Amino acid sequence: MVSVRLVDLCKYFGSVKAVDGLNLEIKDGEFVVLLGPSGCGKTTTLFCIAGIYKPTKGRIYFDEIDVTDWPPKDRNIGMVFQSYALYPHMTVFDNIAFPLKLKKLPKQEIARRVREVAKMLQIDHLLDRYPAQLSGGQQQRVALARALVKQPDVFLLDEPLSNLDAKLRILMRAELKRLQKELKITTVYVTHDQAEAMTLADRIAVMNEGKLQQYGPPDEIYNRPANVFVAGFIGAPPMNLLDCSLVERDGRYVLDFTSFEIELPRELGEVVRSRASSSEVVFGVRPEDLKISKGPATSAIKGVVYVTEPLGREVIVNVRIGDHIIKVIESASTASEIAAGQEVWVVLDFNRVHIFDRKTGKLVV
Amino acid sequence: MYRGRRSVVNPYSYRIKRALMKAVIYGVMTAATIPLIMMYLWLFMQSISDRVLVGFIPTNFSIRGWRFLWQEIKFGEVTIPMIWPIALNSLIIAGGVTVFEVSIALLAGYALSRIEFPLRDKMLLLIIALHAFPGITLLIATFYLLHLMGLINTLFGVIIAKAAFEIPMAAWLIKGFFDAIPWDVEASALVDGCSRLQAWRKVILPLVKPGIAAVSIFAFLAGWNEFIFAYTFLFDPNLFPLSVHVLNLIGEFRYVDYSLLAATALFYCIPPLVFFVLTQKYLMQVQVGGVKGA
Amino acid sequence: MSKRKFFFTLPAQLPLMSSRRLHRSRSKLSPRARKFLLLTIFLGPCIVMIALFWFGPVFLTVFLSFTDMSIRRAEWHWVGLENYFNIGKHPFTMKVVVNTAIYVSCTLLWNVFVGLLLALLTYYMDERSALFYRALWLLPRSSPPVVYGLLWLWVLDPTEYGLLNQFVLALGLSDKPINWLMEYPMLFIILINGFVGCSFGMIVFSSALKSIPRDYIIAARVDGASEWRIIKDIILPLLKWPLMFVTAWQTLSLLASYEYILIVTNGGPFYATEVWSLFAYHQAFEHLELGFGAALAMVLVIVSIICVVAYMKVFKFRRMISPAKIEIA
Repeated sequence: MVSVRLVDLCKYFGSVKAVDGLNLEIKDGEFVVLLGPSGCGKTTTLFCIAGIYKPTKGRIYFDEIDVTDWPPKDRNIGMVFQSYALYPHMTVFDNIAFPLKLKKLPKQEIARRVREVAKMLQIDHLLDRYPAQLSGGQQQRVALARALVKQPDVFLLDEPLSNLDAKLRILMRAELKRLQKELKITTVYVTHDQAEAMTLADRIAVMNEGKLQQYGPPDEIYNRPANVFVAGFIGAPPMNLLDCSLVERDGRYVLDFTSFEIELPRELGEVVRSRASSSEVVFGVRPEDLKISKGPATSAIKGVVYVTEPLGREVIVNVRIGDHIIKVIESASTASEIAAGQEVWVVLDFNRVHIFDRKTGKLVV
Repeated sequence: MYRGRRSVVNPYSYRIKRALMKAVIYGVMTAATIPLIMMYLWLFMQSISDRVLVGFIPTNFSIRGWRFLWQEIKFGEVTIPMIWPIALNSLIIAGGVTVFEVSIALLAGYALSRIEFPLRDKMLLLIIALHAFPGITLLIATFYLLHLMGLINTLFGVIIAKAAFEIPMAAWLIKGFFDAIPWDVEASALVDGCSRLQAWRKVILPLVKPGIAAVSIFAFLAGWNEFIFAYTFLFDPNLFPLSVHVLNLIGEFRYVDYSLLAATALFYCIPPLVFFVLTQKYLMQVQVGGVKGA
Repeated sequence: MSKRKFFFTLPAQLPLMSSRRLHRSRSKLSPRARKFLLLTIFLGPCIVMIALFWFGPVFLTVFLSFTDMSIRRAEWHWVGLENYFNIGKHPFTMKVVVNTAIYVSCTLLWNVFVGLLLALLTYYMDERSALFYRALWLLPRSSPPVVYGLLWLWVLDPTEYGLLNQFVLALGLSDKPINWLMEYPMLFIILINGFVGCSFGMIVFSSALKSIPRDYIIAARVDGASEWRIIKDIILPLLKWPLMFVTAWQTLSLLASYEYILIVTNGGPFYATEVWSLFAYHQAFEHLELGFGAALAMVLVIVSIICVVAYMKVFKFRRMISPAKIEIA
């Protein structure tokens, strides 16, 4: 196993900067997920690690060895593609054996290892079939087997679950995680699905427009988003993000949303004022950190229920406050008494509020 | 698009109109095609009879026309040589053209489809341009070139010149087949431990087999049917392929023995006709592919 | 999903994963050198062939056209532009130019018109018959030119056994067989080339027609448009580019080709079917004057280059080019 280090990695396609100055360190045996919207450069990064793309700038290290100029075949990586990329003209056995045949291992050794990995992934009864005769889930396991059979130093997965149906995806997700933990193999996993990222990753690297937005464990990404992009991207439904400005009035700090105001606790207000580059800020709060009260309460804002979206156990309540719509997640029992058009109070917990600098997008507090 | 009109057309008269139109279409097409059918039908009928009436009715069935298969034929002082060495020359030309053309086009088509290199787009434009350029205008200079290379009056000269003129088209066609292979499959082969060359040979080539077959058939037929190069670059009668042989027969025996001429021509036609029947659907696609960019 | 237990069974020990360290790279070449080697292997043969048999002959044509090279003589001299002046002076030049103009324009018209007709007719047929008829019309293109020429020689046979004469005599249109190639040489040269050439247009137009969404036509029919109006107002406008393409492509190939003429009339009778390209061929290989032939061919080469450059601009071939996605060698 190895650790992987990307230093100032850049990949340009003409004038398009697919990856722009990416620095990332992946520890030996770590499961890292590259997360971001489509076109954010995550797959490009993966292809650079694999050696299929040549970086425009920057270096790639496996342990302390610079592998930037190495062809993929010398990097000893296992890779699973979104399309699985099985060789249609080979049987499952030959598909899995292919990397070993290229290493010129003896025939018995190849057969033994193929059977072993096939058994592990429960595809040992399919070895004589051709890829076209397999279901999507089976193809996926063949792709996994082919990537693992060569005992790779680094395991790369490019949206491997996106072509499976929802139920199978959740099953495979759990299995992948278990597999990785048992094999203790350094893994880079690309996805745009935040639920996948959250459940699988030791650390998540959130990317957008070729740049790394935040790199950290899932709970940190979720609870302390580094900037507005991460805050808005992670979480479903997404965080409520509202533009406002900080105003100091008679020694009190007030967030002015033009159509309404929120008074901040004094310490919070002072921190925001001292850290923000200007008074223009973005106020963010997760729907699950808000509560609905039918009567006035402390640090609550009055609004009108706009629409409710029942999700079963919970309900998303959309509350119109001034010109803004704020989403609140409430338990179904509480929400059942709420109807559209009703006047309610949205209760804030200032310990769970995020404030971002509007100019830089960075988290202030 | 329905605009609430109560009845568009009377369904009965509509059906009659449709049937009439169909009849006209098939009628016109058949009438236009009949001369074509008659021509080829005549070739067959003439080869197995002494005389053909009204285009395709054979009289006096006889296989005298086919006697060239087993004997030399003498007409006064002229002797028609045995067909087999001549057929062998055609086979050598066709086979040689296929091997040269397809192997070089397979390499080039892959590079054009899949390898990034400086001037790649210029190279692609050049290939398309050469594909459009009528190479036959260069015949006189090619004659001189082969003369300089010492390849005039050799089968190899005909083969290499013919292959060279077909390469741009073949490379473009094969590039199209390579284009259709998903990038992931090749990337996967590289990750699995192939060099580019190994990936090409072990993974990509097996996947374009149908394409290779199609282009090979195309190349073989181009070589087999080739006439002008053989007619111009070869002087030794021992090197003549069937095309030149049949043309010489036309010149000398057109009015003497139609059956012999028809049978020889039909014999010459066998490979193209067999391929035509077997791969007709395929060839159509290749021909369309060959003129891609329409 | 199968009934099989889905979860992976991981053996307690994992012999699969050895704790090896990273092995040394085996490629000793730099990435640039690897790529150069790769390109040499893949593109080298093609580039050599193109340089030798395309660019070589172009320059040789220029070179020959400035000499009095002949197959008859061993020695040769530079003659400057004399060959080009001789083109103007040659007694048959005018005749050949007129022949070429008639041949190219008429065959072109025929090819495009008949090609379009065939494509439209088969468009309205069911799939099987359409395929059958298209295949038949591809026969002349697929058969050896010599055999195709022979078929026409029989059709146009001047004795009473020729197909056309059999009909003419049977119908009483004439009381003696007609020597068609003597009487109407250019007409039949156009037809002979046309029966081969029209299949090109047929194929291009057919595939273009196939790509027209059926919805357009169904919508037009629902609106009550007649078939004629559908063809005129929907299909033909959508065929504009294919029509231009076929016209352009065939102009060039007709200008350069003379194979069928060579086989059937060899330019005769009395230069009646001698076109420019055949004229060049005859000068070089019948009168054995390579230099003069090359000068004549040079005219065609220049015209072809101009046309090809123009086509590349008009038809935006650049669009067909997409970058490679694997960048390493």
